Amino acid sequence: MGIVSPDIPLISNLDVLGNIALIREYHGNLPREAVEDQIRDLLRRFDLSAIAYRRIAVLSEKDRFVVMLLRAAMVMEAMILIDRPFRMLHDPRDYGFILTSLKKIDEWYKECHIFDYSWNEERYGGTDAPQDGT
Amino acid sequence: MDFVARIGRSAIRTARTLSDTFAFAFQIFVKIVDRDTYNSAVRIVLARQIYFTAVQILPMFLGIAAVFGAAVVGISAQYMKELGLSGFFGQMLMGFVVTEVSPFFTVLLIALRSSSAINTEIAVMKVSRELQTLEAFRIDPARYLFVPRIVNGMVSVTLLSSLFAIAVLLSGWLFSRIIFSMSLDEYATLLIASAKYGDIFAMLLKCLALGFFSVLIPIRFGLSATNELTSVPISVLNGMVWVFIAIVFIEVLSLIATSLLGKLV
Repeated sequence: MGIVSPDIPLISNLDVLGNIALIREYHGNLPREAVEDQIRDLLRRFDLSAIAYRRIAVLSEKDRFVVMLLRAAMVMEAMILIDRPFRMLHDPRDYGFILTSLKKIDEWYKECHIFDYSWNEERYGGTDAPQDGT
Repeated sequence: MDFVARIGRSAIRTARTLSDTFAFAFQIFVKIVDRDTYNSAVRIVLARQIYFTAVQILPMFLGIAAVFGAAVVGISAQYMKELGLSGFFGQMLMGFVVTEVSPFFTVLLIALRSSSAINTEIAVMKVSRELQTLEAFRIDPARYLFVPRIVNGMVSVTLLSSLFAIAVLLSGWLFSRIIFSMSLDEYATLLIASAKYGDIFAMLLKCLALGFFSVLIPIRFGLSATNELTSVPISVLNGMVWVFIAIVFIEVLSLIATSLLGKLV
């Protein structure tokens, strides 16, 4: 399971590329060069190629969310679980950003679930449907 | 009575710290010798750690080794000549400076520079829940974080001790020319005659032990940090105190072992 959660932070002594590549390097024993092209392609989809070698501390909250999402997508046959996204993204209109982000990488995960407090329902459009990001 | 109770509590706490440290050391050792530990991610961390510990430090380390080595060898050689002990110059260089001073000085520098940094790094990762991140993605922190740092400690102390010894021997050559008017041939012959394989083997073992514990102890104390930032300096302080105790303890143990082996042989 690939988790995107405020309680599962990015590793601060790794750059963006290192954070995203870590899971494939560790579990798949893949060398960095083998994963790097895929990650660069994914970052390009978000127009974020420039942040590949940046440290986590200098990222905006949206960039940080995207990096967490890409890291979660690196899990083989990923089921992505997004936990309380509005604790990471503070703009009320950010649900659109979450959906767009998920669409950009839809071949990288099998399913995605978003968990949040019921009082945040309005942010998802007020219906049950948006609660499941797939 | 209170005094006795305090001594007892302190003894129990120390014994518990020691047994926990040895249990942790055993767990790590098992992972160090397991080939599966060294996946791509761990190899990257290992290479980076060796760069930070053994390569970045080189200019400063070589400078200090040359100055310190010249001072130790120069003063010792001068005194030996005055006392009529010039015949023991080779043994002093190989038996004392190379096998005793080099590892001790190297591990002190590494403890000051890298052990404190590793202790802080692990404590900060614990406080900021980054260790939790690794566990959430089924990444074993012992394999990914601790093993490469400890292997790096062992490799760096051994290699830097050897470099230190080479710097000292070069200073020795200079002083042997100035004080004893020795040629390079005579100096090399003296060193070869004074070198004992047993001493060199003991030095290597000592370097590995010093490297292992000078990184393992800071990691263990880094893990003892709580969720509060204020626990970071406390864990670093305790970790560094125990590192220095361990260094002295290993030095004393190695001296006892060497003298016992010397008597047996």
